[in-house]
Amino acid sequence: MKTKVKQIGFLVLAITLLFGSCSKKKKSSSWVINEVLVNNKTNLIDEYGQRNGWIEIYNNTAKTQDLGGMFLTTDKNNPKMYPIPLGDVKTQIKPYQHALFWADDKPFHGNFHTNFKLDTIGENYIALYDADGKTLIDEIVVPAGIPADKTFGYPVDGIKYDEEGNLTATILERVTPASNNAIIAENPKIVDLKKNDPWGIMITITSMLVVFAGLILLYLVFNFIGNFSKNITQKRVAKSGRLSAARSESQLSGEVLAAIAAAIAELKEDQHDMESTILTIQQVKRHYSPWSSKIYTLRQLPRK
Amino acid sequence: MNALLSLGDNLQTFWGFTGFANAEPGHIIMILVGILFIFLAIKFEFEPLLLIPIGFGILVGNIPFNEIANLKVGIYEEGSVLNILYQGVIEGWYPPLIFLGIGAMTDFSALIANPKLILIGAACQFGIFGAYIIALRSGFEPNQAGAIGIIGGADGPTAIFLSSRLAPNLMGAIAVSAYSYMALIPIIQPPFMRLLTTKKERVIRMKAPRVVSQTEKIMFPIVGLLLTAFLVPSGLPLLGMLFFGNLLKESGVTRRLAETARGPLIDIVTILLGLTVGASTQATTFLTKQSVKVFIIGALSFMIATIAGILFVKFFNLFLKKDNKINPLIGNAGVSAVPHSARISQVMGLEYDPGNYLLMHAMGPNVAGVIGSAVAAGIMLGFLG
Repeated sequence: MKTKVKQIGFLVLAITLLFGSCSKKKKSSSWVINEVLVNNKTNLIDEYGQRNGWIEIYNNTAKTQDLGGMFLTTDKNNPKMYPIPLGDVKTQIKPYQHALFWADDKPFHGNFHTNFKLDTIGENYIALYDADGKTLIDEIVVPAGIPADKTFGYPVDGIKYDEEGNLTATILERVTPASNNAIIAENPKIVDLKKNDPWGIMITITSMLVVFAGLILLYLVFNFIGNFSKNITQKRVAKSGRLSAARSESQLSGEVLAAIAAAIAELKEDQHDMESTILTIQQVKRHYSPWSSKIYTLRQLPRK
Repeated sequence: MNALLSLGDNLQTFWGFTGFANAEPGHIIMILVGILFIFLAIKFEFEPLLLIPIGFGILVGNIPFNEIANLKVGIYEEGSVLNILYQGVIEGWYPPLIFLGIGAMTDFSALIANPKLILIGAACQFGIFGAYIIALRSGFEPNQAGAIGIIGGADGPTAIFLSSRLAPNLMGAIAVSAYSYMALIPIIQPPFMRLLTTKKERVIRMKAPRVVSQTEKIMFPIVGLLLTAFLVPSGLPLLGMLFFGNLLKESGVTRRLAETARGPLIDIVTILLGLTVGASTQATTFLTKQSVKVFIIGALSFMIATIAGILFVKFFNLFLKKDNKINPLIGNAGVSAVPHSARISQVMGLEYDPGNYLLMHAMGPNVAGVIGSAVAAGIMLGFLG
């Protein structure tokens, strides 16, 4: 009974830990409206030599995604304002790359020119809707009063929320159309390690702790499963009342029990020199294991 | 006369394309190394399934040719046959396939029967991080040091996988080093096993492992995957395939799939992996001071891992009851050169006590080492990737 309570307790603890560890962080969407320039005075010029506001959309996934068929809008009540045309390979955006749309109200200038303009004075609501025109994928509200040639967006591409779940959107230091908002020259992890752990001692200790923690966890779970399994087997064989029950209880090896059984049988029956039957002690073979066979092993030794 | 001159020019042009005209001392050295590998594999049967393809691959990769002519024959020339086959190494999809096969051929019974042996597999991973420290002090960047350190995991596929992610330029040296030392384990480990154990310890007899039920065997890959991959998700490609292969084997209802995974599939991938890793040692790009350093640190990592395993068992024994002690001769088996290091425990055990069979006990830490090194690789990838 005590063991059962322990086992149930263990299971409940494991499940609680699993659910408790679930992340409650807010997640960014698969497409992010990453950077917006509302008032373009001296900034980027389009292929027609004109300056207009632009919207940068970021593929926030590790796969190539197609923007074709989706909708861009500046009006919550009209989600299908600008349908991004289908069938253009340029709308297939590679993982963690950008697409730039001109908000110039000149859709016939190309697929990346929308049929709306941004309000250079007031607040701008911009949203991206899925191909059904109903599912909102991402939205951003650009506040009024953004200075000319300054962009509003996320300091790190695709990261919309900080640790506390607050939006990180702000006026950006640099204007970076169709390229990364955060310029990473070196792997920050490596820079950090070189600075703070030049001998590699801390990473060694941390890593060994993690390796041990992982394998200790595995040990604990299988210790538990092993004991549980042993208990069940013992109960089952005890119920059956066979010789294996004695074996299970005593933990003696099969050979020893076979010898004891043979001795008891000999004692019970009349002792005689000439045996009428032949006693064969046959070892019970375990299931076939490839480890015991050289046929299947990776490091098979060649047959000569 | 003109015809003769033209013939001379043609022959000269032809000569310019031959291996003789393009050979450098490095090519000859690497060809000799390749022949040595083939010799070791045939004469001493050191890991022949790996050393023969790698050894021959070294020969293939070091046939000198006119690299400027863009003949598309070299392994580093985009679009060449060897380069296409090499993509499995560069992109890191051969190692998980090998792990699938390893999972399908591994019997985890010894580990399940005596789960405390898992910890020896963990202790041996110190070889990886010890080598990481040495590599850092030898002037390597942290990501390169991590890739070099993984040689100490004694696990070729893991080493290739991690180096393809962290330091692709060192992958050839790391892969050749990892496989070479795995083959040389019978030479590397025994001296440390003798040095670090007493006569009394070497004859410790361990309890026979209990019989493991099929349910436990089925649960192992599922629970194993969930626990280890939740902890180190970056190890998922290796751990996922390892445990998937094992479930194919143990489920009892997917025999055909298990047989393919541990048979034809792993054989095909081993051939391609071995040959291309060998061929990647093209002297003009491979034979550098860095490669020599990688070889030296690789050897040290194997030694550190062996020492860590043996010392850990001795330490662990301090807390175990007298009749439950572990023979420290299985400490080396945490180095996951499966099943070579476990065989060494068996041979050494029999040397000191002809009735003491340690193989089944040594298989526990041995397969735990495989899991441990995949976890360690995941950690490295998380920290340095």
